[in-house]
Amino acid sequence: MRHTLVTRGKPTLRIDARSIVPATLCALSREELLRTLLPHGREAVPIGEWFEVRSESADDAQPWLRLEGELARFDHLGAGMAAGILELHGSVGDGVGIGMSGGTLRVDGSAGALAGCAMSGGWLEVIGDVADFAASALPGEMEGMRGGTLLVHGRAGARLADRMRRGTVAVHGDAGEFLASRMVAGTVAIGGACGPHPGWGMRRGTIVFAGEAPPPPATFVPVLSDAEVIWQLLARDLERFGSRFDGLPRRAVRRWAGDLAVEGKGEWLVPH
Amino acid sequence: MRINGIAIDDSFAEAFPMKATRLVITAHDRTWAMHAAVSATGMATSVIACGCEAGIERELAREETPDGRPGVAILLFSVSGKELAKQVERRVGQCVMTCPTTAVFAGLREGEPVPLGRNLRFFGDGWQMAKVIQGVRYWRVPVMDGEFVAQETTPVIKGVGGGNLLLLGRDTDGALAGASAAVQAMRGVPGVIMPFPGGVVRSGSKVGSKYKAVVASTNDAFCPSLVNLSPRSELDEEVRCVLEVVIDGLAEADVAAAMRAGIAAVVERGAGAGITRISAGNYGGKLGPFHFRLHALAPQGAAQ
Repeated sequence: MRHTLVTRGKPTLRIDARSIVPATLCALSREELLRTLLPHGREAVPIGEWFEVRSESADDAQPWLRLEGELARFDHLGAGMAAGILELHGSVGDGVGIGMSGGTLRVDGSAGALAGCAMSGGWLEVIGDVADFAASALPGEMEGMRGGTLLVHGRAGARLADRMRRGTVAVHGDAGEFLASRMVAGTVAIGGACGPHPGWGMRRGTIVFAGEAPPPPATFVPVLSDAEVIWQLLARDLERFGSRFDGLPRRAVRRWAGDLAVEGKGEWLVPH
Repeated sequence: MRINGIAIDDSFAEAFPMKATRLVITAHDRTWAMHAAVSATGMATSVIACGCEAGIERELAREETPDGRPGVAILLFSVSGKELAKQVERRVGQCVMTCPTTAVFAGLREGEPVPLGRNLRFFGDGWQMAKVIQGVRYWRVPVMDGEFVAQETTPVIKGVGGGNLLLLGRDTDGALAGASAAVQAMRGVPGVIMPFPGGVVRSGSKVGSKYKAVVASTNDAFCPSLVNLSPRSELDEEVRCVLEVVIDGLAEADVAAAMRAGIAAVVERGAGAGITRISAGNYGGKLGPFHFRLHALAPQGAAQ
């Protein structure tokens, strides 16, 4: 079953919408979907209270769910989703796609804090901006993003990819302070500028500055030898994200290694 | 069957399943890629004593390689996945990692993965780094010219080994020219290698020997020096030189295509060029599951 949910208005309180995942809701009939409860403050309110629901029978290869309207107070949309397609038209609340392990989640708007936090697979694309702690670790967790792809067409807030361990994050615009701090591994590519302290405490992993690169801190050292092979492999992969990443393989690259304050096996790749 | 004066025996080549993989070696320029490929496929003519059969499949243009550098595709075949894994690791470790500017990648998409860079990374003594790109893990080992990049694993598939043509010539010059022409044509077929020197083997073998310790011995049925001596001889006195082209392929169809191309190249030259008869090696059809019948592979409509 293919459902389209259109908001009736803005909820009074924030709604924990983690049960809105395609695989679960597409298995329901329209009536069952309307009766599904969402936590709203201390109450549980049926989905039908918040959304107009249009349903149609469809022989989709994978579950397909679409939400439209004022979604800024809906948190954790697509949390833990493992398959299917979730399209969100409008700016969404915090924690969109946290812990997702597969499928495609597309936000045609901006996202709040903790977008794609602890995700381990799948594709999360945000047409607008993301707030702080995107692709980073959940509070109390040791590891941030562990796989998959987060693509942000706009800007990212602070602590993007904090403690990230695997996967790819690409941001067309700017990033806030402490970009990829405490990074363990993976790839972060930034098309714009970034705030203070990028790569602070990064142990391994790669940051690609396709746009304006910050001056490397004292705990990073230049690597003058050739790294053309891995650069070409990486640049060709990043090129698919378009915008500032177009033509990346045709640019020469400078490499910096750090953060020497920790393991020092991380790298900055700065195309010029 | 006779085409352009060349007799084609009503016989077949008998081939066997083997484990196979393709590696893509790239380098700063084609010269160094070729150096690595030649070295990695050296002393790999027969599984009888080399551990694997290997050869250069073709050169790759910049647009065809993962890192946009010139490359060479090589194929390796062995009797078991375990032996092939051992050979891949040894040959890549000693012949590719050592060769300036090279990198190595898997050349197949599907198959049972065996280590490529997974264990070679330990050469990095702790300085090695992994990079996962599009779900594929690469190892980066610091070396004296920069870093050696190797994909973590390479897929192994079931291939076909032992396709062959026996080219019977009037003299050495004619046989060599005919065999070279056949190999040249076969090299245009994707997915195959001819593992012997120049693609040609003169010491064709049969299974077993009068000596217990010897597992393979000379194919006396096709030795011109044993005409009228060996009871198994299949030659007449007109034949003075027999050369064999052995073909290993990633699929049965690849081997068939290569044999078809080889036969066509020889018959196009005609009997006057030196090859007077084409035959094939088999074991009565009882050992190998793949049978390549020469008449089915001969150019259609040209039989006389």
